[in-house]
Amino acid sequence: MSLSNLIKNWSNFRTRRPYEGQYDDSPYKWAMVIDLDSCIGCNACTVACYAENNLPVVGKERFGKGHAMHWIRIERYWGEGETLETEFPERGAQYLPMLCQQCEAAPCEPVCPVGATHHSPDGLNTQVYNRCVGSRYCSANCPYKVRYFNWWNYPERAWPNPLELQLNPDVTVRSKGVMEKCTFCMQRLRAGMDKAKTDGRILADGEVVTACAQACPTSAITFGNLADKNSKVAKMWKTQQVDLAKNVQEKTEDGIRGYRILEDLNTYPSIVYLERLRNMAS
Amino acid sequence: MSHTVPSHPQMDVQIERKFVPKQKDLGEDVNWAQINKDVLRSLEKPRPAFWIIFFSALALFSFGVYCEVYQYQTGMGVSDLNNPQVWGLYIATFIFWIGMGHSGTLLSALLHIIHADWRKPIYRYSEAMTTFTLMTAALFVLVHMGRLWQFYYVVAYPNERWVWPNFTSPLVWDATAIGTYLTSSLLFLYMGMIPDLAICRDNAKGARRALYKFLSLGWQGTDRQWGNFKVAYMTMACFLMPLAVSVHSIVSTDFAVSQNPGWHVTSFPPYFVLGALYSGCSGIITLFIVLRYVFRFEAYMTQPILNKLIKMTFAIAMVWTYLDLIEYATTWYGSDEVARQDLVYRATGDYALQFWGMIFCAMVMPFTLLIRFVRQNYVVLLIISLILNVGMWLERFQIITPTFAKSHYPWTWTAGWWPSWVQWGIVAGSFGWFTMLFMLYCKIFPSVSMYEVKEMVHEQNMHDKLHGAQAPAHQTALGAIPEMNGGKI
Amino acid sequence: MKKTHTLALYSDPDEAANALKDLKSSGISGFRMDDVIIKSPIDHPELSELLGPRPVYIQWFTLLGVLLGPTTGLVLIASAQASFIYQVRGGRPVVPFPPDMVLTYELFILSGVLMTVLSTFVAMKLPGNRSPLYNASVSEDKIGILVKTDPASLPQINEILGRHKPLEIMGDNAR
Repeated sequence: MSLSNLIKNWSNFRTRRPYEGQYDDSPYKWAMVIDLDSCIGCNACTVACYAENNLPVVGKERFGKGHAMHWIRIERYWGEGETLETEFPERGAQYLPMLCQQCEAAPCEPVCPVGATHHSPDGLNTQVYNRCVGSRYCSANCPYKVRYFNWWNYPERAWPNPLELQLNPDVTVRSKGVMEKCTFCMQRLRAGMDKAKTDGRILADGEVVTACAQACPTSAITFGNLADKNSKVAKMWKTQQVDLAKNVQEKTEDGIRGYRILEDLNTYPSIVYLERLRNMAS
Repeated sequence: MSHTVPSHPQMDVQIERKFVPKQKDLGEDVNWAQINKDVLRSLEKPRPAFWIIFFSALALFSFGVYCEVYQYQTGMGVSDLNNPQVWGLYIATFIFWIGMGHSGTLLSALLHIIHADWRKPIYRYSEAMTTFTLMTAALFVLVHMGRLWQFYYVVAYPNERWVWPNFTSPLVWDATAIGTYLTSSLLFLYMGMIPDLAICRDNAKGARRALYKFLSLGWQGTDRQWGNFKVAYMTMACFLMPLAVSVHSIVSTDFAVSQNPGWHVTSFPPYFVLGALYSGCSGIITLFIVLRYVFRFEAYMTQPILNKLIKMTFAIAMVWTYLDLIEYATTWYGSDEVARQDLVYRATGDYALQFWGMIFCAMVMPFTLLIRFVRQNYVVLLIISLILNVGMWLERFQIITPTFAKSHYPWTWTAGWWPSWVQWGIVAGSFGWFTMLFMLYCKIFPSVSMYEVKEMVHEQNMHDKLHGAQAPAHQTALGAIPEMNGGKI
Repeated sequence: MKKTHTLALYSDPDEAANALKDLKSSGISGFRMDDVIIKSPIDHPELSELLGPRPVYIQWFTLLGVLLGPTTGLVLIASAQASFIYQVRGGRPVVPFPPDMVLTYELFILSGVLMTVLSTFVAMKLPGNRSPLYNASVSEDKIGILVKTDPASLPQINEILGRHKPLEIMGDNAR
């Protein structure tokens, strides 16, 4: 009965997350490192994501209205005082691939009225399309604005016959009126984890990567299992002295570039960005 | 103008006592039978203005329905909402309507608890206003939903998969609070209306009689019924007052619980409650003037009552102004740089016109209520009460839109977002929907409480019997009141 | 024995009060003040007082509502949060107190209001139209005194009621 369940697991229900060692017993905690110094802004990750996750191409007009569906987007920034060259606007830009940060304390989760988004045991911020009613509160409360809403019935126009044949069969095609966002290529993880479970092991490092990480020509994106202390991602997080459960990171060594975006909002993101190095002499 | 009375025989004849009688809320010529007649007449033949208002409201509503059907079929994209601007006019107008709904029941309950008699002629339509504004607001929750056809997911209904709504979401609190408020204020309205429905039943014929007979539940005005009724009504009033305060505080948590700059403000709950009271009071004034004209309620909706209402509106407007300014002051003084920049953006950015429009309409305009001419000229007052509400609507707009336009993350900063005609159409339709329902209500149900006005008259008579009749109503402390209707109160 | 009814209409509350006082002190055999019902367009506490104590019990049902509603509500909400697929949202506890308190507060009000309304209808015996004599003028401006009595003492009662300038006295057959 639910009441006995309530009493039995009381302390578990009253725990605040994230806490130190939360994923020690868990086989998986998916995380990412993005090296901005390596990123050349080529948009290959975005294209790979469109192909992998059945993202609709919305067209110029709707893109201009802010209806684009890019789960991973390349943002361009210019340093303070720099002027924008009109002939080659990309020149001097710094790039930042922005995707769902899979926050441990995600602001989008508690505000959803129907519980369509919640945290999975392997540390992902999930989105249940079937349950979503489209109140868009999650998007309103997401500080990174990486949640994308189906403003139109995209499948109508995005894949005219016979293009629907190129859709990824492992991924749902979303209907109008639901919210969607980066899933860390959940379908790949799910298949991999199931296979590993059948074999009685856990996934090896690099066995499954997200489409963006796979497509990145400069290997700027590293994806892996943070719960596995020997994985590349876990080592990078350690080297960069970023602790998942802390909102203020102590940096004891010089030259450490790792940071998480908008950490002061206590979102505890799962993606560490490595700051871009600049040649100060020029 | 002072008024003298013959001094008491025992008193020194030289002393001229200045007699300052209390201005009476109702005229002298109102008696019980007259009340029945006047109010029941409102159910039959209103002025032609009624039909003009009703049909223009119907037309507006039909246009709103057209827009909503178009949006439903094509997708939310037609509203021109986009990634940072996910809420737009829908939520702004939702807050506006919820706010409008606050004064009616809250004031009715509060004034009932403190035995303020002047509430009696005006509380009924104010409560009806609450009910219909809440219905209008609930409409916006639906309009705003991406998948309207799945709206029942928000309701906590038992199901075999044990799937529940997310009780931590302010939207679920909203749904619960609004549901509770709508249920309670509807019951409060209905409860208070039962004796009047019995009057209607006793006077109506045909289908209407059947309706009133059904709704009045066989009320006969026996002493037992009155005794229980009074206790129950007072109990409900005591529940409704804190409920109304809690509802708009909960609505404010939609914003205060989130972490967006300009929303994450501790003072939001009281600020919202006062804003709600403010726009509700102006709404009551607007409808006061409209109903007074349309249904010829001049004898009940009198200048003294309106004066009290205006005084209260002014006081509430000042409290709201204070809370609004203190919100800006704390943001300005605090060390949250993002919130401060958001504040600067509101005042100087793309939506500065709306911001300063709000300041003008909702903060400066209430001062015109201090002018006696404004208080006594119904046309001017009607316009001013509408301007106050425009100000309150702008307030809701400029809470929502600039925050999305300039949030934490620089890449999503947008400039000059503006809602599409579909949004405006639905907003206009909501005004039509409200006006239509309200006007229908006033046509079918007595919008002035007959039995309570009778109580008022009774108390006035008892008072006069005990203390002797005082100065005639048209010669009072304020002097001869320059009334609109040829000096008739 | 079959009882009969009589209804007297007064336009002045003071006259009605006098009639009630006379009835009280009349000492007619078989007549009790509990058989008297006042019907009036507004509440007349000064008249009801003369009828003797007629207690109101609504507040106890209200109390019951405000005690039971929120407690069952809180338990239901908390167990619903726990029983559904174990969902962590935003790092908050699965059974968080502040949101549950908000909802419990609303349920407190809702159950209080609903219990009040239900008990009121029961106490007022509504819906129903069981009173034998009714005249539409008691909803306008008259005060009616309805007496249930033995047919034997009817003339005496009518005489008392008639002493205080009633507009009309109606019996069962007047319907």
